[in-house]
Amino acid sequence: LLEPGSTVRQNPRVVHRRLAEGEGGVLLHLETSAYHGVNEIGLAIWEIVGDGKTIAEVVQELGARVSDPPAKLEDDVIQFLDGLRDRGLVTD
Amino acid sequence: LSQTDDAAYAPETQNDQSSAGTCFGFSVSPDLGFKYLRNGEGEPLTIIESADEPEGTEHAPVLEWSPTPAIPWHARLYDDGARFRLWIESGGWFVVEPSLSRITIPTHDDHVRREERLWGLPAILTFLERGDLPLHAAAVEVDGGAVILGAPGRFGKTTLAAAFVSAGYRLLSEDVTCVRLTERPVAIPGPAMLRVRQDVADSVATNNVSVTLEAQEPEARVHFSIDPSLRGDCNPVPIRGIVLLRVTDDRVWLDPVDPVAALRDLWPLSFRLPFDSDRGRAFGGLAELVRDVPIWNLHRPMRIDALSAAVAGIVEGV
Repeated sequence: LLEPGSTVRQNPRVVHRRLAEGEGGVLLHLETSAYHGVNEIGLAIWEIVGDGKTIAEVVQELGARVSDPPAKLEDDVIQFLDGLRDRGLVTD
Repeated sequence: LSQTDDAAYAPETQNDQSSAGTCFGFSVSPDLGFKYLRNGEGEPLTIIESADEPEGTEHAPVLEWSPTPAIPWHARLYDDGARFRLWIESGGWFVVEPSLSRITIPTHDDHVRREERLWGLPAILTFLERGDLPLHAAAVEVDGGAVILGAPGRFGKTTLAAAFVSAGYRLLSEDVTCVRLTERPVAIPGPAMLRVRQDVADSVATNNVSVTLEAQEPEARVHFSIDPSLRGDCNPVPIRGIVLLRVTDDRVWLDPVDPVAALRDLWPLSFRLPFDSDRGRAFGGLAELVRDVPIWNLHRPMRIDALSAAVAGIVEGV
């Protein structure tokens, strides 16, 4: 599992597009042609990760973006990014 | 694509004749006996006939097609950097120079099939250069808007398009729809042709069309041109919606599709070259399209006697 100090970055072979306001976005893995829909929060995490961020940095930036962030935000972010890592969308 | 090297491939003839008509927004010249063009004006597209096999460096094709029941011949596409060469079994060589809006077609006795091949991949590669998005789908005009008919299951879009034509609606494209992602996405009408199975020709495609080729094995489809009165021009038509064809056993109904699910179905219908940059282009274009255009599933029995209800359902519901 990822930890607060772990660094993740977008896989450069993944492209993303935002859908309509409030509908999140989609990620396409160019190597596998698999694509994944993400909601607004998921898309925000993806954009924050960019070229490389620690989990702690992602949680801090995301917390500043969303109103009334949940207490277990870090756990949710780790779980989400673990899922992206399993699918090859982000790398350590 | 970069500027082509004219010295690398010298065309046999140059033509500056007036347009023979339009297709996919191009004014086509000269008139080489084309059957499927529309009226109006567009950007110039020069067509050159050549009997010679084009020179080219030996390298592996970027795309290769094996015969299938739907497309029963081999084809190979070579990317030379500034131009593409397309070889089609029994059809000869096409050379596409997108940056010059120029396509060289083989001399061939079968002008109808040659034109049909021209409006496939060679035309796609040319309008990709303009930034347009090709979709493997039919399209018809309903009340001034384009309705795109996509068949993720591969079957039924042409038959449904034929039913629209027979009912007096304008066919915008039969197999490849050219989408332009303007503020409100539009469809650019393609060739005014329709190719259907013999049973569909006998029972559905009976109005507003003329036969250009009788059914022949192995393809076994009757080829029609659309009556000139129903062709119109190639001006962009705002896209009213995209309809994905689904099969059911009972009645006809529509239900809306969310953008992410629609993208899953449209991705296999998009054309892309096997490069990251082109996959990214196609994906980005589709994401814009599903964001800006309503998408519907049309559930219908795949029976000829259900076609009228399917047409009515789309006209009323989309």
